[in-house]
Amino acid sequence: MSRKRIVVITGTSRGIGRGLAAYFLRQGDIVCGCSRKPGTLRHERYRHFVLDVADEKAVVAMIRSVMADHGRIDALLNNAGIAAMNHALITPDSVARAVFATNFHGTFLFCREAAKAMLRRKAGRIVNFATVATPLRLEGEAIYAASKAAVESFTQVLARELGPSGITVNAVGPTPVPTDLIKSVPPAKMTALLARQAIRRFGSIKDVINVVDFFLSPRSDFITGQIVYLGGVNG
Amino acid sequence: MGNRRRVSTRTQASAAKVRQLVLDTLPKPLSGQGNETIFGPGGVLDSLDLVNFLADLEYRLDESFERKIVLASERAMSQHRSPFRDVDSLTAYIIELLAE
Repeated sequence: MSRKRIVVITGTSRGIGRGLAAYFLRQGDIVCGCSRKPGTLRHERYRHFVLDVADEKAVVAMIRSVMADHGRIDALLNNAGIAAMNHALITPDSVARAVFATNFHGTFLFCREAAKAMLRRKAGRIVNFATVATPLRLEGEAIYAASKAAVESFTQVLARELGPSGITVNAVGPTPVPTDLIKSVPPAKMTALLARQAIRRFGSIKDVINVVDFFLSPRSDFITGQIVYLGGVNG
Repeated sequence: MGNRRRVSTRTQASAAKVRQLVLDTLPKPLSGQGNETIFGPGGVLDSLDLVNFLADLEYRLDESFERKIVLASERAMSQHRSPFRDVDSLTAYIIELLAE
């Protein structure tokens, strides 16, 4: 029987992150999640941390706390993200900075701290979250797409830096999944977006879980630095 | 005066403890007890060794001093002479971080 995995997931209070946490709990794993707000999951194998993913000290404290409790981290899923869907010319600088803080700096900080923990066992899986908005060059999502482009580039370079240490780093690029993140996007725009996919439907949390499961599989130890988009979108 | 002396004694004790922790954490044994080079020209560690060493050292410092220190700070990166260069500079740098 395989032992319980220690899975760290960011942004677990709602949407895809909450779905991922619930899935891994159903698999029997131990999940440590975080969000700016108090957690909404209640489970004996779930521990929630209230923090901003761009707060370096808070991220360091969370990862050290997980290590103190469990002695290892098997997987990190950098799901936390925010969107700013607006024309670039009417996007306030403060909004652009906030998007980069959460999407890029949050991913960077969690990768850095979790990878240090994973180095101790020379094993680990990191999955970052990209988006089809980047390869589709979606108008109205310039800042969001740019922040996720940074995540993609970071993922690929980090994969090379951590490859010799037995840690894989990949990213999943979901299509729109009906969550709070896209609730403000007009339906006509969403229809046009789906039309650019090879398979024209909304993604589901199950679609995301499928790719994450693949990256986390012990048999995927030769898969790193890859960005897998859903829906037949190409990078 | 008495207070200052106590602080100084404690700092010295910490310095010895930090230095020993640095030496114990090094993945490759140094040849003697002097101030030997860790990283850079003539250093015992390559860049990948250094990353592993610093990550390990952060956890050991946390265990020994209960402080969540990040060694790759802006201060470390901006110093003309890298604090990771040798045992003495790394020890002094950690003492500074512990004092913050």
